[in-house]
Amino acid sequence: MIPLLILSPLILLAALGAVWKARPVHAALLLALALALNAVLYLVIGADFIGLVQFMVYVGAVAVLIVFSLLITRPGDEAEEISRRPRSLLPGLVCTVPVLAVLICSISRVTTPSAGEAPAFSVEQLGKALFTTHAPAVVTVGVLLTAVMIGAALFARDPGKKPQTPSDP
Amino acid sequence: MSLLATTPFLPMKLEFLPRLPQMLVEVIFHRLGAPEWLVSIAGFIVAASTVVGVFMGGFALLSLVERKTLARIQNRIGPNRAGWFGILQPVADGIKMLTKEDIVPAKAEWLLHLAAPILIVIPSILALGVIPYGREWTPVPLELGLLFFFSVGALTELSVFMAGWASGSKFPMLGAMRAISQMVSYELPLIISALGVVMVSGTLSLPVIVDKQAGFHLGFIPAWNLFTPWGLVAGLVFYIAAIAEANRCPFDLPEGESEIVAGHMTEYSGFKYALFFMGEYLGLFAISGLGITLFLGGWQAPLPGLGFVPSWIWFFAKLAVVIMSFLWIRGTFPRVRIDQLMRFAWLCLIPMALLTLPAAAIWHFAGRGLLGWVTTVPLLLIPWVIITVIYNRRLSPSTRIYRFADS
Repeated sequence: MIPLLILSPLILLAALGAVWKARPVHAALLLALALALNAVLYLVIGADFIGLVQFMVYVGAVAVLIVFSLLITRPGDEAEEISRRPRSLLPGLVCTVPVLAVLICSISRVTTPSAGEAPAFSVEQLGKALFTTHAPAVVTVGVLLTAVMIGAALFARDPGKKPQTPSDP
Repeated sequence: MSLLATTPFLPMKLEFLPRLPQMLVEVIFHRLGAPEWLVSIAGFIVAASTVVGVFMGGFALLSLVERKTLARIQNRIGPNRAGWFGILQPVADGIKMLTKEDIVPAKAEWLLHLAAPILIVIPSILALGVIPYGREWTPVPLELGLLFFFSVGALTELSVFMAGWASGSKFPMLGAMRAISQMVSYELPLIISALGVVMVSGTLSLPVIVDKQAGFHLGFIPAWNLFTPWGLVAGLVFYIAAIAEANRCPFDLPEGESEIVAGHMTEYSGFKYALFFMGEYLGLFAISGLGITLFLGGWQAPLPGLGFVPSWIWFFAKLAVVIMSFLWIRGTFPRVRIDQLMRFAWLCLIPMALLTLPAAAIWHFAGRGLLGWVTTVPLLLIPWVIITVIYNRRLSPSTRIYRFADS
């Protein structure tokens, strides 16, 4: 309980900082911090696998992706600060309020398990569950990700140009 | 402790030598009447200090060996003034680094600038903690050891970016961009090539992976993962990707001295610069250690009948061989270009790494014998030949034509 009480305010602070910071890179790094602290939270409550995967995926991949796209898309105007005035208040509310509603609704429906022994868990069980009962979902996600990758490669390719050979002196 | 006293032979006692500090501290704390949790915490701290101490010593030694080896490859003598054979050179380097002025550029973000070198050392040290160095010496025997290794390694990319961005200068930014694109590209083949081992061993725990590689084929070929068709391919992919992940020559574009000074380290001086180097070398130790654990049998002896030598000696012998091969490569290969680097990762390494997965699956179900060899060798050899032919025909650098220098 005590680690939870220490960690949750820190996560909240980092997340708020990610929203409020003016410079995009600061916001991205604070977001990475919030996600990393989340991973620590998972580790503290005994969900080792989820915690490590959270760290690898969100800090190692998602945060790096955000940072990298920031650098590539806006190389010149790093100093430009995002306006603090919410210019897009209405679209923002349209996006966030339903998500919040769904989250609150689903959280309120969850029955809290009795505080006692943590359920036994192993990576083996998780793998078996993923590839037997949840196999259609796994395959669907795989197909979706492959399609996204191919699509991204198609978008990134300059249609008029052949792949250049690195032979020019 | 009782185990130490009753084991008969001296080599068996040497097996426990790296754990001696931890055992001594635990015994002393017990004698002092400390509670159980305090004893275990003290033991853990001492065990961690042992690992850090060993690899700090290794870092100092390697910095000297690297300079000496490179010097011999380039027909120079190398450092020879500080002590006999230059043996005190690391000490001299350390004193120089510690007494240098710590400069923070005016346009730098001081907090991120300070945090980056610290954050780059932490994951390397954490990763060193889960590797099994000997039969009795795994500092932290985690059940998810392999996942832990790659998870903490994910922090490196972000800290390199922080170093490059917080310096507020052009060269560090360029170096960080190069570093991130390179690390992201080469992390894929690195992790995929490790997956084959997980599939065949059926575990993520590094000590168990080493245990599964015990024994010998035909009486003298060690049953390491490297000596299987998929293991050979995966091991080679892992080796190349590990060089790129460690930012070493020929993949040292992020810090290429002759192009962008020192990349993300340009605006650092003194102790922070030393921290970057420390992180880099500790990371090199960690990733070599992981490669040895996954493919080279960890602490297992290379020949039957050599089991009496303490197992951690075998681990460090293998580590020395692997690191020397890195030095050799650094001394002989030229630096590649960024487009060659990316193309190599995405067109050669990732397809070959992906192919090792079905090969490992077939190997697992075909009984790991002759049938496995017959089915997996063509599966891997034919795509490899195709990739090599395509790569050499269309994408490799052609002979350079000197228009004006030829006469």
